Amino acid sequence: MDRRTVIRNLALVVGGAVLLPSCLHKDGSAYVQLKHIILNSDQQDLIANIAETIIPKTNTPGAKDLNLPAFVLKMIDDCYDKKGQDKFIAGLAEFNNLVIKKYNKSFSDLETKEREAVLLGIENSHKTNKKGNSTPARSFRPQKSADMPPLDTFYGAVRQQTIFGYTTSQFFMTKEIFYDMVPGRYIVHYPVSKLKLKTA
Amino acid sequence: MANLNIDSIKARTFDAIVIGSGISGGWAAKELTGHGLKTLVLERGRDVKHIKDYPTTNKYPWEFEHHGQLPVAVREENPIVGRCYAFGEDSQHFFVKDKEHPYIQDKPFDWIRGYQVGGKSLLWARQTQRWSDFDFEGPARDGFAVDWPIRYKDIAPWYSYVEKFAGIAGNKDGIPQLPDGEFLPGYPLNDVEVYFGDHLKKNYKNRFVISGRCAHLSKPNDIHVQQGRTQCQNRDLCQRGCPFGGYFSSNASTIPWAERSGNMTLRPFSVVESIIYDEKLGKATGVRVVDTNTRETIEYYAKIIFVNAAAINTNLLLLNSKSNRFPDGFGNDSGVLGKYIAFHNYSAHIGAQFDGMKEWTVDGRSPTGGYIPRFRNVFKQETGFLRGYACGFSAYRFQQHKYDGVGSSLKENLVKGELGPWYVGSHMMGETIPKESNHVSLDSKLKDDWGVPLLKISVDYDDNDEKMKKDYIEQFTEMFTSAGFTNINPSVNHQAPGLDIHEMGGARMGRDPKTSILNEWNQVHACKNVFVTDGACMTSTSCQNPSLTYMAITARAADHAVNELKKGNV
Repeated sequence: MDRRTVIRNLALVVGGAVLLPSCLHKDGSAYVQLKHIILNSDQQDLIANIAETIIPKTNTPGAKDLNLPAFVLKMIDDCYDKKGQDKFIAGLAEFNNLVIKKYNKSFSDLETKEREAVLLGIENSHKTNKKGNSTPARSFRPQKSADMPPLDTFYGAVRQQTIFGYTTSQFFMTKEIFYDMVPGRYIVHYPVSKLKLKTA
Repeated sequence: MANLNIDSIKARTFDAIVIGSGISGGWAAKELTGHGLKTLVLERGRDVKHIKDYPTTNKYPWEFEHHGQLPVAVREENPIVGRCYAFGEDSQHFFVKDKEHPYIQDKPFDWIRGYQVGGKSLLWARQTQRWSDFDFEGPARDGFAVDWPIRYKDIAPWYSYVEKFAGIAGNKDGIPQLPDGEFLPGYPLNDVEVYFGDHLKKNYKNRFVISGRCAHLSKPNDIHVQQGRTQCQNRDLCQRGCPFGGYFSSNASTIPWAERSGNMTLRPFSVVESIIYDEKLGKATGVRVVDTNTRETIEYYAKIIFVNAAAINTNLLLLNSKSNRFPDGFGNDSGVLGKYIAFHNYSAHIGAQFDGMKEWTVDGRSPTGGYIPRFRNVFKQETGFLRGYACGFSAYRFQQHKYDGVGSSLKENLVKGELGPWYVGSHMMGETIPKESNHVSLDSKLKDDWGVPLLKISVDYDDNDEKMKKDYIEQFTEMFTSAGFTNINPSVNHQAPGLDIHEMGGARMGRDPKTSILNEWNQVHACKNVFVTDGACMTSTSCQNPSLTYMAITARAADHAVNELKKGNV
């Protein structure tokens, strides 16, 4: 075996090793191999499309550009307990049924406006169902979902982790806001006007 | 062969042995090596070198696998340490996991531990308030525990000594129950903290909001530069270990200092199983160590031994050091060893909102916060409970975002948002009364991986704690109301003792060998070449964060030990 072949074969082995933790979609793109829950490529696509609807590509990157679907899946897989995950899966099925019933199409086949309408519909019905707010405020720890219906658990988790992943992404923390890791100062009696906050 | 044996014993013989490398052990190591004593420092955990072994210290949130959240498997496997506020994805490697060193909870006790060089000094909250005679005289005045064998004048010069080296930021506040020290410039209080302080000054006697004195280099002196430390950079990521050495830890300060003396031998992975007592000599001659890698038992010898294993583990070690002379544990002629364990009551909190001062905020981050020194029962007994509580008090505000909706409007809302109102929060830090019934003991059957009996912990709150907690809520509800705060939300938690990480006592200091284990120099009454200078020595707890007092007590005892050695008294 000459040197070149060795290098080529080595590259194959290394390339294979990189691909191993993922599987392939029908279109050839990789999806995430999970440790605790089983989600097939369609289900993972659905979660990715919901994440992209929540944080779409505009003139700035969207969920898919920032690899947030993989982060959301990792969080659901690692940071939710078995009960929460079971409910998540049940909610995912309900979500699919709800979309089929209303549009006779799967979520992935809907237009953006329709996708948004589905998500806003769940959000609004959750708000009227419950005193509490489905959307996380400052804490992004997985919510206790004991009293939440599966559909809300599913959508709430995807939403919560998408927003958490987005607001803690390198893009967001360096381009959208300035995360000052090493302030080197503590100044009191500081005028709010000098903060340079982006206000509504 | 005989020569080999003699050489081996020689190689295992030192002037001094220090058991533990945390906040007090680090000080013992620095002081003893500084006086030229060849010192062996034994640490049960791994080595953690300053900066080099802080793997997460410079990571951004997105560089953590779960962006800072803990996987459910970690949380479920660690119900105890998982309750500690500082245990996170960025700091979990500095904590003992629940399974790693089991103990028996006769009553719920959250034992939070850091088994590594530096111990919990990497993880502490860095608050450093001095005690006063209102604290040292407490047991005698109020009739509990035993009288402290020392007073403020005994420890004051040692407070100054350790403060100068460690670097303590604070202001000279002139408050009798919280003596001033050797301070670097204090961190300022923000507008609302100042406002509340003014409100208290105007309306109450003896109630102050001060900047919490803390072990941060607000402005390093030459002695800190010599340690290789630089100014605190206000990162507020201290639990990861500080690459600037901005706060005091054994790792950044005392251990490398001791190392530079050339007199220290640091031996990690060394569990001390027991202290060896020689009946003929009438003193301790060394310690028995289990190497946690090889499981080999090795003996080390020295003229003096400093026990700084952390309060509860020091009790365990002393209880397990049995001999003909001490059948019930080392130095335990009085029978009080392992008893009179106490802690701090952190089980109440109160939050509120303040709608004033909207045009002001802060820039950057403070490594400390407001501190309200004890104001109950200070000068005389005046309530239906004994002693009192200190309190944290901080005000803050943050940008508020609308989180509903989806799409581009949501993206925009996550960036934009008005600065919310001021919020204020306070937590109590209550003194608990040491009682004989609050104790630790050895299990008669179960042993850990190193052959050391498992420890049984039986420590609980009492009626005095409940009364004090109620008083804290009442007083703060009233003070917050009269200050014009709204949405006042008192909350009482039921956290187990231990989670305060201020467990103390078990080998208390006292004047009388019949009722205490240690004398006024932290020497075991019955064996003067053994010194205990960590939290185990505490006769009472007062309500200040205790680490600074451990440092001062340790430096003082080390000085005494060196003098006694010179005189040939130990």
